Amino acid sequence: MIAYILWIAVMVLTAPLFLSLIKMIKMWLLFKKPLSPLQGYRDFSKLLSKEVLISQEASAITHIAPYMVLAPLVVVLFLLPPPSAKSFFISFTDAFTLTGLVALSSFFLMLLGLDSASSFGGIGSSREAFISALVEPAMILVIFALSLMAKNLGVAQATINLAHHFPIEHLASFAFAGIAFFILLIAENGRIPVDNPETHLELTMVHEAMILDISGWYLALVESAAAIKFMIFASLFVSFFMPFGMDAPFLVALLIFLLKVAFVAILVALIEVNTAKLRLFKVPNLLGLAIIFAFLSLISYYILGA
Amino acid sequence: MFTFDTLSLLFVLFLALGVVPNIFYAWGYMDHIERKGHFLVHYLSFILSMLGVVLSNTPLAFLFFWEIMSLTSWQLILANAHEKGTLPAARLYFFMTHFGFVFILLFFLITSDGNLSLSFSELHAIAAHFPYPTLLFFLLVLGFLSKAGVVPMHVWLPYAHPAAPSAVSALMSGVMLKIALYGFLRMLLEVLYPWHLEWGVVVLIIGAISSLIGVLYALSEHDMKALLANHSIENIGIILIAFGMGMIFGSLHLPLLSAFAFIAGLYHIFNHMSFKSLLFMSAGAVLHQTHTKNIEKYGSLIKTMPITAANFLFAAVSISALPPTNGFLSEWMIFQSLLGSSSISDIILKISIPFTVFALALTGGLAIACFVKAFGITFLGLHRSHNAKHAHEVNRLMQIGMLSMAAVVLALMLFAPLFLHLFDDALVPFGLSDITGRITPTFWSIHSIAHNGGVVSPLFLTFALAVVVFALDYAAKLLGVRSRSHRTWACGYRTNAKMQYTATGFAGPIRRFFAWLYRPEVHFHKKTVAGHTTKFTSALYDVHIKPLFEASLYEGTKKALNVISYWVYRLGHFEQVRYGAIIFNLMLSVLFGYRIIAHHFSWATLVLEAVILIASIKILVIGDKE
Repeated sequence: MIAYILWIAVMVLTAPLFLSLIKMIKMWLLFKKPLSPLQGYRDFSKLLSKEVLISQEASAITHIAPYMVLAPLVVVLFLLPPPSAKSFFISFTDAFTLTGLVALSSFFLMLLGLDSASSFGGIGSSREAFISALVEPAMILVIFALSLMAKNLGVAQATINLAHHFPIEHLASFAFAGIAFFILLIAENGRIPVDNPETHLELTMVHEAMILDISGWYLALVESAAAIKFMIFASLFVSFFMPFGMDAPFLVALLIFLLKVAFVAILVALIEVNTAKLRLFKVPNLLGLAIIFAFLSLISYYILGA
Repeated sequence: MFTFDTLSLLFVLFLALGVVPNIFYAWGYMDHIERKGHFLVHYLSFILSMLGVVLSNTPLAFLFFWEIMSLTSWQLILANAHEKGTLPAARLYFFMTHFGFVFILLFFLITSDGNLSLSFSELHAIAAHFPYPTLLFFLLVLGFLSKAGVVPMHVWLPYAHPAAPSAVSALMSGVMLKIALYGFLRMLLEVLYPWHLEWGVVVLIIGAISSLIGVLYALSEHDMKALLANHSIENIGIILIAFGMGMIFGSLHLPLLSAFAFIAGLYHIFNHMSFKSLLFMSAGAVLHQTHTKNIEKYGSLIKTMPITAANFLFAAVSISALPPTNGFLSEWMIFQSLLGSSSISDIILKISIPFTVFALALTGGLAIACFVKAFGITFLGLHRSHNAKHAHEVNRLMQIGMLSMAAVVLALMLFAPLFLHLFDDALVPFGLSDITGRITPTFWSIHSIAHNGGVVSPLFLTFALAVVVFALDYAAKLLGVRSRSHRTWACGYRTNAKMQYTATGFAGPIRRFFAWLYRPEVHFHKKTVAGHTTKFTSALYDVHIKPLFEASLYEGTKKALNVISYWVYRLGHFEQVRYGAIIFNLMLSVLFGYRIIAHHFSWATLVLEAVILIASIKILVIGDKE
């Protein structure tokens, strides 16, 4: 139980670190002077000390939505697969619930975008609605395939099953599911081929456009939601697709887990540096690719396995 | 005549949950209705006729109450008859509901051998002797599902439901469509079993297509109530996916999975009743205040109508299948029964079912987009018209109606395991397995029956979300967050209502992606300044979407019927003898057809009768021209 609490605390505390890490690697690769990995914490503490500026046109939704954006993601954090096979986990939830909670968070984020009567907010919400509608089927299909390979839909139990009996005969479907999930990781977190988290140019904004009109404490909540969301997807990716090192003693397992998440962050940074952002109407092609890989994973599982 | 078995009683409970809040709401809505006596008579007899349908035990009583239900709801659509579009909508509804009635009547005539006062349980023996059970199944599909509004028999729904007063729309969309599904389910469970595998696949495909088509047309809709009506098509599709899976598992002898799928379907029936009624009630409240159904004329209503807005938001979260609401729980169960398809041994079927998973998941994603649009454009931002500016909260009775329906939604969400227990109890007497112990071992969690399935716990999720929100709020208090308000930054201009995103614009990317389905008609006019292409004084952008099925299937049928009737008219040529000959031939073909269907079929008689028919048409009708 103590290990569980320690692990949650570590995940919450390191969440901003990995986003800063991505930024740092990108700047370094572009021959810029890299920013400190602690920049995420600095931004957070700066936002805490600032006052909240609320738009006159905004309604109660602006006061509710930031909490509802962060809260489901925090709940998801408590339900994630543990880094060590022996540690405690909450068993009465499953992968559908996790995707549902993530969707609940983005539902309120989209409402936040429409609340301040600014057309930037609308543009962001509209694009987010479009992208997340296409992410949903790929996500559910990947979960379907994984639940077959891991013999359980509960994410924690599934990870432990995978760590103990890795279905080596289904390596093909496993790889397909991995590719599909990685595309989803990029799309859900608004990383480069889908959305550019660094610009404020109306042609490219998705996530940034929705949160343009909030500030201070509320912006801190939404920014930490983004960091936690990356943490959730990265940790799901590493526990499903890199299920090793879980039998080590807890602290070692935790360290291995953090290294794996850092590896995902580096991978994302490399992709960001090497690709251009897609036009909005080309994004469905990428997501279609994810859907096709998810289907391939399921079909190859059925054809080879059963 | 009447039965009080478990399934009927379950639907009596269903009616009670759906109707009681609606009565309060309708009471508050009365000042909006011109012909009050007409409305009350039909409203009450509509409710009583639905009660009659679920309690009747003989085909005669069933058909009687079914017809009363159709006629009263038809009259209720005509409550505000002078409004534009009401008369054609009522006419289409009248036609479609009787189109379905004919097939139900045919089904009962065949399965009861003409004696309509037999009880339903006696029909099974007669139906089992009928040589073409698949024909009976298709009669059921055409009869009941045209009333339930599945694709392609859904065209009346987006016209009829918006035309009725809001209380009635809530009742029709939330309750009446489910009564049609009740009829379908009862006939499947009591009369027409064992099911063939193909029937389940047909129901599954119909369900998947309806859910996708419904949500896609809902997204492109500007009329608030038509949007909700299109969403009913989607949800009926989702329920049918569950029933289809239940039938597939049932015919493959997987009784546990079959029971689970049917329970999921029943649960979604209850859930859809609750949140769709709530949505129609709060949309009706908005309509009551703003006097327009056009979503582009709303905006900012959350400030003046907070209770309506809160109800709409709650129902919107629920219909978008977001946890921890009841809409999520039933969709979760349906996903679980689709996951159960991995226990099927037939490889083709197994590989095809993920396509339904895909359809259902895409439907879920698009539903989220649709309800962000519906809530965001209606209640947030700045008011887009004078009517929206002067709106205020509706009267107390309507508020009671909405809040009590919200309580029903909440009860279905928090006490889901208890309701599942009830659904299982209702289905067990019809030969489905008792799986209560397996799926709800505790009062706070729901377990999947599939071997690779999961667990969900509505109480836990609600509690966890509440704890996190309160903790964050407490943290804000500790930090002493100060706030100040200022107008939205609009790049140096004053923020105004025209700058906001419109509903058309919000759905733009999705409309563009699905342009092959929508085939939108775009009207774009702008007055440019001195030949510049980018500078203009005024611009008008308007998109119209003609539903595909209406444009192809229904218009096509209309054209074909016109051609045929013109041909018959030419044949008849105003000569009595020829008209007589045509009628004689028609009777001949009906009799021959009946002989072929109902009695022993052999190719020799078919050929003989075809020859007689063709010869008599040639000699009597066409004659020797020239």
